[in-house]
Order: sequence, then C-alpha cells, then structure tokens
Amino acid sequence: MSLSTPPKASFLASLMDFPRNVWKSIFRNPLPSNDLERSATSFTNFFLHIHPVKVHKNSLRPLYTFGLGLISFFLFVILIVTGILLMFYYVPATSQAYDRMLDLRGSVAFGTLLRNMHRWGAHGMVAIVFLHLCRVFLTGSYKKPREFNWVVGVILFLLTLFMSFTGYLLPWDQLAFWAITVGTAIAGYAPVVGKDIQFLLMGGTSVGQEALLRFYVLHVAVLPAVLTLMIAIHFWRIRKDGGLSRPEDADPVISLEAMPTVKASVLEPKKTYGLQGLVRGPLTKVGEIPDNTVFSWPNLFLAELFTFVVTLSAILVVSLLFNAPLEEPVNALHPPNPAKAPWYFLGLQEMVSYSAFWGGIGVPTIFVLLLLGAPYLDRGPGGVGKWFSRDRLLANTIFITFVVANIIFVIIGTFFRGANWAFVTPW
Amino acid sequence: MAVNLKRTSAEDSEGGRTSRRRMLGWLTGAGLAGSAGLSAVSNFVFIKPRATYGQPQRFSVGKPEDFPSGTRAILAPRGICIVREGSKLAAISITCTHLGCTVGAADTGFACPCHGSRFDQDGNVTGGPAPRPLPWFQVTLAPNGEIEVDKDIEIAPGSYLTI
Repeated sequence: MSLSTPPKASFLASLMDFPRNVWKSIFRNPLPSNDLERSATSFTNFFLHIHPVKVHKNSLRPLYTFGLGLISFFLFVILIVTGILLMFYYVPATSQAYDRMLDLRGSVAFGTLLRNMHRWGAHGMVAIVFLHLCRVFLTGSYKKPREFNWVVGVILFLLTLFMSFTGYLLPWDQLAFWAITVGTAIAGYAPVVGKDIQFLLMGGTSVGQEALLRFYVLHVAVLPAVLTLMIAIHFWRIRKDGGLSRPEDADPVISLEAMPTVKASVLEPKKTYGLQGLVRGPLTKVGEIPDNTVFSWPNLFLAELFTFVVTLSAILVVSLLFNAPLEEPVNALHPPNPAKAPWYFLGLQEMVSYSAFWGGIGVPTIFVLLLLGAPYLDRGPGGVGKWFSRDRLLANTIFITFVVANIIFVIIGTFFRGANWAFVTPW
Repeated sequence: MAVNLKRTSAEDSEGGRTSRRRMLGWLTGAGLAGSAGLSAVSNFVFIKPRATYGQPQRFSVGKPEDFPSGTRAILAPRGICIVREGSKLAAISITCTHLGCTVGAADTGFACPCHGSRFDQDGNVTGGPAPRPLPWFQVTLAPNGEIEVDKDIEIAPGSYLTI
C-alpha cells in the first residue's frame, strides 16, 4: 500500500469521465465476458436478480413451456401501461363515460390504438393465462413441492377473469350494461351471501352510477394491487420451489461412487447452517458431476427479450388491424337481441341459459374447487415434467373433459345462438 | 428477540411463569386477530351504501281510460306491463326472473333476449331457464282516480284490480 496521497483528479478529467462514471455507478459490471461476470450481472441488477444465476436447460425448452407464463406477465405489463394512459382521459360517470370513448376514438392522439391494445391485450391475457394453466396441469407441474404455487396460479386466473369482467362495464355501452346486469344477477344466485354480494357490487339495486364507480375502483386500484402482489408471490415461489418443473431424469443421477462418504463421527452435532442449507432445489455442484444448467446471461435473458418483443409486436399488429368494438350507448330499457358476453364468458352464458344456479354458480364452483384441490387430491409422484404423461392419465382426462366441454359451450354460444337465445345454424 | 421456543418438562410442571407467558401470548394473538376482524367488517359496513339512488317503487301510471280493454302496454322505464281486460287491470313485471334482463313482448306473451326465457300472457314460464313466473305488482286506484302501482308488493298472479 502506498503512503503517498493519490493524485488529485483534475476537474477536466472528471468531466471527461463523467458519462462513463455515471454508467458504471448504475451498472456495476461491464458486459460479461466470463462466468464470474455473468453471475455478477445476474445478481447485482435489480431487474435481473429475481432470476437464478444459472437455469436448467429444461426450463428453456420452448416446446415445454411455450413461454406462456412469461407472455401472461408481459401482457399484464402492457395492460398496466395502456390502462394508466387511458385513465388520463376516462371519467367513470354515466353521463360522460361513453362520450369519453368517442373522444378516445375521435380526438385523442393514439387514443384508438391505446384502447385497441388494452382491449386485445385483455382478451389475449385471458386466453394465455388459461393456456398457461393448461400447460402446468398437463405437465403435472402442480405436484409436490409446487402445490401452493398452483393454488396461487388458479387465484391469478380468477383475478384475470374478474379484471376483464370489471373492465367491460367501463365503456358504458350496451354490451357493458347488459353483461354486468347479467353477471351481477348470477352472483345473486350464490347461496346465503349472494344477494349481499350483488348489492355490494352494484352499490344499489340496479346497474347505474354507483355500479360504474365501484367497478372502476375495482378495475384500476383494488384488483391490480392484489394481482401484482399475487404475481410477486407466484414468481418468488418459482425460485423457492426449485425452478420450473422438469422430469426426474432431467437431473443427473449422482452415483454413489461420486458421492464423498462422510463418517457419522465427523459430523459435528452443533453444526450451524448457512443460507445455502435452507435453499431448496438443485444443489450447487462442484467438480466432476455433470451439470444440466446454463448461465441465465445470456441464455434466459435473450429468450425473455424475444418473448417480450413477440408479445408486444403481436398486440401492436392486432391493434393496428382491428378496432375494439364499441356498441350503442346504454339503453337500460332494451337489451340488444341477442345479448352476448365476450367469447370467453359465452360458455358460462350458454350454461346459464340452462340453469342460472348450476350454470353460473354450481358448475364453475365445482371446477374451481377441483382445480384448487388437484395438488392435494392427486398425490402420485409420477409424471411430473412430461406432457400428457401416462402416469397421469386419469387427472389429464378429467381436466381435458372440462376444457373441451367449455370450448363446446363457447362455440355453441358464439355461433349457434340467435335472437332470444334461440338455437340457430350459422350457415 | 429472545423468544424461548423450547419448553422443558420442568417448566411445564412448574406452571407459573410459563403458563402466564402462554396466556399473555394467547391474549395478544386473540386481540390482534379480533382487531383485524373488526377492521375487515367495518370495511364492509363502509362500502355497503345506506342510501341508494333510484326510481320510486310506488308510482302512478295514469287514468284507467288511458288503458282501454285489450291493452297490453309495456312501460319500459317503469319495468312493468299494464294489462287491461274488460274491467280487470293488472301490472306484470317485465324484468326477467332469470338474470334481470328486460323481456320484450312476443306473440305468445313475453320473451327474454338474453338467455331465451319465454313467458305466456300472464307471465308464467313456458320455456327457457327462468326459475319463476314474472311477478305481478299491487295495483290500486288512488283517490285522484289514477292507477297506482307498488313494485314493493307482489301479489298472486291472476289477481286483478276491478275498475
């Protein structure tokens, strides 16, 4: 160590180095060129440190996950951004809401594009979140130790549906009004608390100003906050449960010869455990044991960037090509005929046309309870990490039956129902 | 925080300190849980409106002469259909008993555009998912000679006001 004082940096030199020093103070590491720097980049960057430094090759197989969870998250981000922008022009009042929709279409710069992105993003999120749920189920990924994260995921799916439900009252057009009239009436069929829930949701006995304000608050404040919290828990638990699910044979079998043998007497009874001892998942492997992981930088991050670009591009293209529908302003006296919900609720509407209780409350509740209970009812260890595993034939068959039944109901509701909900043929 | 999670059998048998500590812990927990429950309930009390805005449930619809015999007049803003046959007069709800859509007049009575419920001229269910017939509301003749409908009072279908 030198005792002489370091040379004073000249002010000019500081100025010259200004941009570089600012950059280095923010991004502590240079672009990584070796494994140590790759690790450092992952865990010193706020946005990257929720990722593991190394990720299993199986998690990066596009045909295993199809990136559906990530796409759901990116759609959520797009919806937050476009939603906040739309809030600058929207007023949740029955006297203004519809006019504000027309303003967005007619006089606000990029208003139509933003509304289209928000609408198609919402449709996309419902679809992709559902497909993500299907992926996780059909690969048996809800099994131990991921039971609770599956439960969080099911709640996220329900929150997504509730987000879209509260969102479509806001334009205050005919679809909005009658869908919410019907939707809140379905809630009224729930046993014991149904009528109270209906009253609390609408803030009165019919859909009006109070209901519009309540749905607005739920849509822009309450549900996004809950959804964000649940997403954080969902992501955190992915790490704590040892990353994405994978088949047992994806991890190398450690032969007994390779294991260092430790005599029992060597183990000290008062051993203290570091944080490493508490972290579940693949152990840090040192030395000769084959390793199926790769560094997150660049393998995982490039895949994520690619997914984001594809998601955003898809939403942009759809939004430039197709305008979000806006029906006639609310006419509380005359429902449109037929009055149809958006496609993803048409299966529900078709079931409701047979029986309000069973279609709107009974069957959906049974389906949700089965979903929530799946990891606790299906305890067999086999078939994790494989699509359509033979070990899980029964569970997959039940699940696919429900899904196909719902798709059939959606198709009937979309194409085979005409005026007064009478059965018609589309040709 | 020095929380002693290990209890020895000696302490248990000793009673005294340990049971007091457990009691205090239990009371603290119950107090916190109770406060949380109360706050949750008061939130529901807050968001449940005490006063609601809406149309009056009891209103006048006009003189009997406005509805000559054979009339089936749908008063959409009021949510009722006034039926007059001879000297008999009644008010039938046009809010579908299924999920609250407004039913329209059809050849055979009423039909709902939302989920296909169908009703006959008297509001009885003839098809579709509606669980109940359309309710009939109390109709009275006010002292000023106008017909008054009270939507808060449902009467048995088929009971007419004779004028």
